[in-house]
Amino acid sequence: MKHPVELPISQEIRNQVDKEIARQEPVPKDSKALLRVSNLKMYFPVTKGLLKRKVADVKAVDDVSFFVCQGQTLGIVGESGSGKSTVGNCVLRDLTLTSGQIIYDGYDLSQVSEKQMRTLRRELTCITQDPFASLNPRMNIRDVILEGPRVHGIEGSRKEQQDKVEQMLTLVGLNPQAADRFPHEFSGGQRQRISIARALALNPKFIVCDEIVSALDVSIQAQIVNLMSRLQEELNVAYIFIGHDLSVVRQISHNIAVMYLGKFMELTDSDELYTHPLHPYTQALISAAPIPNPTVDKGRQRILLKGDIPSPINPPKGCNFCTRCPYANERCREEEPEYVNVGTDAHPHFVACHMVSGK
Amino acid sequence: MAETILEVKHLRTYFYPNGAKGPELRAVDDLSYEVHEGECVAIIGESGSGKSVEALSILRLIPCPPGIIMGGEILFHGKDLLKMTDEEIRQVRGSKISMIFQEPSTALNPVVTIGKQICETLRVHRGMTKKEAMEMAIQLLDRVNIPNAAQRVKQYPFEFSGGMQQRAMIAMAMACNPDVLIADEPTTALDVTVQAQVLEELNKMRKETNTALIIITHNLGVVARYADSVKIVYGGKIVESGTPHDVFEEPRHPYTLGLIRAVPRLDLPKSSGLSAIEGEPPDMSKIPPDCCAFYSRCKYCTDICKTARPEERAVDGSATHICACFHMNQTQAEREALMEINRKSLEFSKEAET
Repeated sequence: MKHPVELPISQEIRNQVDKEIARQEPVPKDSKALLRVSNLKMYFPVTKGLLKRKVADVKAVDDVSFFVCQGQTLGIVGESGSGKSTVGNCVLRDLTLTSGQIIYDGYDLSQVSEKQMRTLRRELTCITQDPFASLNPRMNIRDVILEGPRVHGIEGSRKEQQDKVEQMLTLVGLNPQAADRFPHEFSGGQRQRISIARALALNPKFIVCDEIVSALDVSIQAQIVNLMSRLQEELNVAYIFIGHDLSVVRQISHNIAVMYLGKFMELTDSDELYTHPLHPYTQALISAAPIPNPTVDKGRQRILLKGDIPSPINPPKGCNFCTRCPYANERCREEEPEYVNVGTDAHPHFVACHMVSGK
Repeated sequence: MAETILEVKHLRTYFYPNGAKGPELRAVDDLSYEVHEGECVAIIGESGSGKSVEALSILRLIPCPPGIIMGGEILFHGKDLLKMTDEEIRQVRGSKISMIFQEPSTALNPVVTIGKQICETLRVHRGMTKKEAMEMAIQLLDRVNIPNAAQRVKQYPFEFSGGMQQRAMIAMAMACNPDVLIADEPTTALDVTVQAQVLEELNKMRKETNTALIIITHNLGVVARYADSVKIVYGGKIVESGTPHDVFEEPRHPYTLGLIRAVPRLDLPKSSGLSAIEGEPPDMSKIPPDCCAFYSRCKYCTDICKTARPEERAVDGSATHICACFHMNQTQAEREALMEINRKSLEFSKEAET
């Protein structure tokens, strides 16, 4: 389906960025993936004293690789402090990478200039967690939605603006009459719909959704997840869907990465991850997920993990998960497991665990 | 049957956000239930359903103004908490009835060590000396599985992780061996794996000391395993209550059914979409008193729902299962769909085992 409001974006951006980027080493265009991230590392320095001497690194993201295809979703699941939001921020280039490469549709995001990045951000956008903090209380909904197009100078005539706002609000299931109201007049679920409308206003091809349903009630959460799935089908956008609740992330994702302490522990398609979880951490996450039925819940085996996630300043030697893993042995505490594909090329299943790879 | 220790009768807590002459907001509207000794009661509701206000009303912690407990009785061991003097209620708070709050990081005092915060309760209610209280605090932290308790008591809250802070809160709440422990969203701010740990901890403590536990939560799944009795709250009223079997396996109220079906299931193959409850949670200040609070979102709604308030009635003569809905006998089809889901899930887990 065509985007309801066709804006002269894509080709125009292309030409503009292509012109500016001509001096740069060309990156081969990936036929399969819209976004390809390889060996992404993001370290934050810990400084001490007056001279801000660097004493350590917080390894928020440590050597992560993945790709996302057009119109598909990659889910990233992990506990707080696992670095999942940092991955999202790196993709949007809110942060300067320590090392690694992010290629979006043929553009190396760590190489393009700030000006070019700005143009690309029309296609590459985000929706954030807290719908109460992310909307400016002094802007009415019309201005919230039109802010993006205005910044990029593509808001068009008054009539076009009016159409745009109406179409966006209808698209996310809100009454177009609401355009002149202010954020405080809406409930959490409705605000999250406004955030989604704002993100869609620029006709993006890629959206980073960072914990967009965790602040919402169960009944509303289901509405928003369904809405996001519908929008993906209609508009063919790709998502990175970040969350801590595996059951929600699974609903919307084609592939899921399980993240722990800055590293991917397991990455495969969402059905495979659920039917054959290989990493002990994934297994624990699945078994800890609450089921709203006492008979079913009591009948399930539960793996209770001990302790908390260690500090990313000082991750354990060997496997990151060895401090909490029920199967950890000497080798896990000494040697870091390799992140390998144990599936086939057509159905990859990446996992980082000595027990599974067996090498 | 164990002895009833807490009895909430027709509790009504109203708020007047715009002063006494402004519109009233009926946060808790005619709510009644009982808690027996050593029982785990789960109160489930979405944000704005009045579940937390209800808990705060029990301890008389409602800020006044704007809130007023308009009526009802809260009988604790037969004595009405609402009629007690301030001094009397202070003897009960933290000693006989204690509470765990949602965000441990905001509930703990950041400039006082964990040990001192636990000691405070002990010294006030039990009259212990500093030394005795500190020893007791170490024991308590040890009981909630905090490693190196002796060193940890000297640390400040920021040195604890979220899960450990919540354990410290549990230790503090259990310090005086209360008869009733109210946990208001005890695991909402925690990660899934830590959530499971903290709930196990709470349940263990409850069994050991025979304390009655009231868990207030919005997550149905969290309590399915532990609760002895479940109350679903919507719009300040109990819409359905019963044993976990009654509420989770044979729910009658359209809201309960919708709520259970809206939870994404990890025990089943991926479904094509979640079944959401349409509409938004009600604005409490705008619900007229003579109607069912759920009517605008309910697919069974008829004219009677808009003009009269459904009474709590026993379901099919059951002694435990109560539902407040005019159409509770018309939800059969949806209930069967839910049973089908559960049956599939059981089959599925059996398959997974083999």
